[in-house]
Amino acid sequence: MSIIKAEGIYKTYNETHVPVNALNGVDLQIEQGEFTAIVGPSGSGKTTLLNIIGGLDLPSKGNIFIEQTNLKDLSSKQLIDFRLHHIGFVFQAYNLIPVLTAKENTEFIMVLQKRPKKEREEKVKELLEAVGIGDKANHRPGQLSGGQQQRVAVARALASQPKYIIADEPTANLDSKSTHELLDLMADMNKKYQTTFIFATHDQRVMDKARRIVTLDDGKITSDETFDR
Amino acid sequence: MNTLLKIAWRSLWRNRRRTILTASAVVFAMVLALFMRSMQFGSYDQMIQAGVNQVGDLQVHDTGYWANQSIDRAFFYKQELGDSLKSLPEVKAILPKLETFSLASYGAQTKGVLISGIDPQEENSQTNLSAKIIKGNYLKEQGKGVLLGDKLAEFLKIGVGDSLVLIGQGYRGLTAYGIYPVAGIFHLPSLEMNSQLVYMNLPNTQEFVYPYQEGLLTGISIFLKNPSEINEAQKQIESRLGKDYEVISWKTILADMLQTIQLDNVSGQIMLFILYIIAAFGIFSTVLMMTMEKRKQYAVMVSIGMQRTKLIAVSVLETFIVAIIGVIIGLIIITPILIYLHLNPIPITGDMAEMYLEFNIEPVLPFALQPDIFIKQTLIILGLSLLSALYPVFYLSFFKVLNAFRH
Repeated sequence: MSIIKAEGIYKTYNETHVPVNALNGVDLQIEQGEFTAIVGPSGSGKTTLLNIIGGLDLPSKGNIFIEQTNLKDLSSKQLIDFRLHHIGFVFQAYNLIPVLTAKENTEFIMVLQKRPKKEREEKVKELLEAVGIGDKANHRPGQLSGGQQQRVAVARALASQPKYIIADEPTANLDSKSTHELLDLMADMNKKYQTTFIFATHDQRVMDKARRIVTLDDGKITSDETFDR
Repeated sequence: MNTLLKIAWRSLWRNRRRTILTASAVVFAMVLALFMRSMQFGSYDQMIQAGVNQVGDLQVHDTGYWANQSIDRAFFYKQELGDSLKSLPEVKAILPKLETFSLASYGAQTKGVLISGIDPQEENSQTNLSAKIIKGNYLKEQGKGVLLGDKLAEFLKIGVGDSLVLIGQGYRGLTAYGIYPVAGIFHLPSLEMNSQLVYMNLPNTQEFVYPYQEGLLTGISIFLKNPSEINEAQKQIESRLGKDYEVISWKTILADMLQTIQLDNVSGQIMLFILYIIAAFGIFSTVLMMTMEKRKQYAVMVSIGMQRTKLIAVSVLETFIVAIIGVIIGLIIITPILIYLHLNPIPITGDMAEMYLEFNIEPVLPFALQPDIFIKQTLIILGLSLLSALYPVFYLSFFKVLNAFRH
C-alpha cells in the first residue's frame, strides 16, 4: 500500500509578480520501505515536491495523501503535529539545535512527542550507537564534524519513528568519505527500521544507492525507474 | 518545560557578551529608577511627616470651622469629648489647640503672628518641641511665658526675658491683648514658622482670646497609632462625635503641599518614562537581533514538529531571564546604597538649603525604603522586557517556514 500518494500536483509561486510554475501536474506514489531519489536539474521542482511531500508547503492544485490523510485538509497546527509524528527531516545544512548536545538533539523530538523519559533515553542510546556516534553523545553540534552532525540529524529524524524521512541534498556539504558513510548508514536504517527515505539530490553517489529514481524536469516527472540493489 | 527552559538558557549564553550588555541595560534602568524614586518618595515622606507632626493625622473642629476659619467658630472643650477620643483604640494622642492671629510688638517693631496655644507636655511628647529651643527654656504648665521663632525674635529685636505685647481679635468681638515674657526662642526647619509663630500655654491663650470661660479651642489634633489606617479611623471618630464636630484629615489640611508633591511626582514620572524607553530599546534591539539571527533555527524547529506556541515560550523565556538577571543584579547593587542613604540622608547646604527651609522642609535628602517602590519598579522593568518580547511573539506566530529557510 502507498504511504504517499500525490495526485495532479501543481505549484505556482507568485512572489515576483510573474507566476512561476514549479510543479506541473505531478502524480507519484511511494510505498513503505522505499529508498527513493528525486533527481533533476536546478529549478526542476525537486525541493518544491519534497516540501509538499514533507507537509512544509501545500500544492496550489492537486492532493497529497499520506496514507488516508489529505494534507490539504489539515490546519497549520495539525500539520505541525502531523509532521511531528509521521515525517522525519534531514536537511542539507544539518540544522541541529546548536545549544543542545547530540543526545539532546536526538531526544528533543521525542520530548515534543511527550514520550516517557525512560523510553527516550533507551531510544537515544540505541540510535546514537546505530549512527556510530555513541561516544559523542554529549558533544554539541559545534564540536562535531559535518559528517557527524548529519549522522545526528539522521538519528533525530529516526527518533520520532516516522513513516518516512525527507532528505533534501543531505550530502551536499559532506566530503566523499562522509557521504559514503552517511549513505551506507541511511541504507542500513532503511533496512533495519523499514523507514522510507526520499531524497532530493544532484549527487550521483546518492543516485547509485537509490532503489528508485524519479526524474523531474520543468515540474514534471520525466522518468521513474526502479533498481534491484 | 525543562527542555524549553534549557534551550532558552543556553541560547542566552551562546552570545555571552550580548546577554551581559542587555542585562546591563536592565541593571542601569533598575539602579537609576530606584535611586530616583527612593529619593523622591523620601522627600515626600519627609514633607508629609513634617506637616503631620504639626497638624496631626486628623483634626476635630466645630462643624464649619474648616470652611470659615474664624475665631468665632472656636468651641468649648468638654472633658467627655477628650475622653471619648482617647478611648478609641486607633488614637495614640490628642493635642487640643487654640490658634489665633495677633499683632506682636516689642519696642518700635510690630509684626503679625500666629499664636498657637498648646498643652506644653502633650505637644512636646508628640513633636519634641523642647529640643528645638535654642535660647531660654521650654514652656511650663504654669506661668505666662511664650516661645518665639528665632527669625521673629530677630525681627522684633527681642530676647529671652523681654516682654512681648500681643494685641488682636478675641472671641465674639472682644479685643485680645496682653503682655507676655519671652521664655524661649526656637528654631524649626521652616522659615515661615520661625518668622511668624508664637507658642503659648493653652490656658494663657484661652484667657487671651476669651477670659470669661475656660476651655476655648479651635481644634483638637489627633495622632494615630497606625497612620495608614486613617480612613477607617476618620469614619470611626466621625460616627462617635456626631454632627456637632467635623473631622478633617491631614490630606485636606495640607492640600497645597499634596498638590506640590503630585506635581513633582508627575515630573519624576516623565523622567522615569524616558529612562524606561531607553532601557526598553536596549532590550528590544537585542530581542530583535536574537530573533533575526535564529530565523532558520525556528524554521527547523517548526519543520520537525514543534508548535509555534512552544517556540514563543522559548523566546519569551529568553527575554524574561535576561530581565530577571538584570533586575536581581540591579537590586543587589542599589539596595545597600539606598539603605545607607536612608539611614544617613545627604545634607543640603547653601541656597538650596534656604529654599528647602522656605518650604518647611528640613534641608536633607532622605531616601525612602517602602517595599512598594521596589516592587513597582521591578514589575515595570519586567513588564517592559515582556513588551519587548512582543516582537518575537508576533514574528513566531506568523513567519513562513520556507521563507525563513531561504534566509
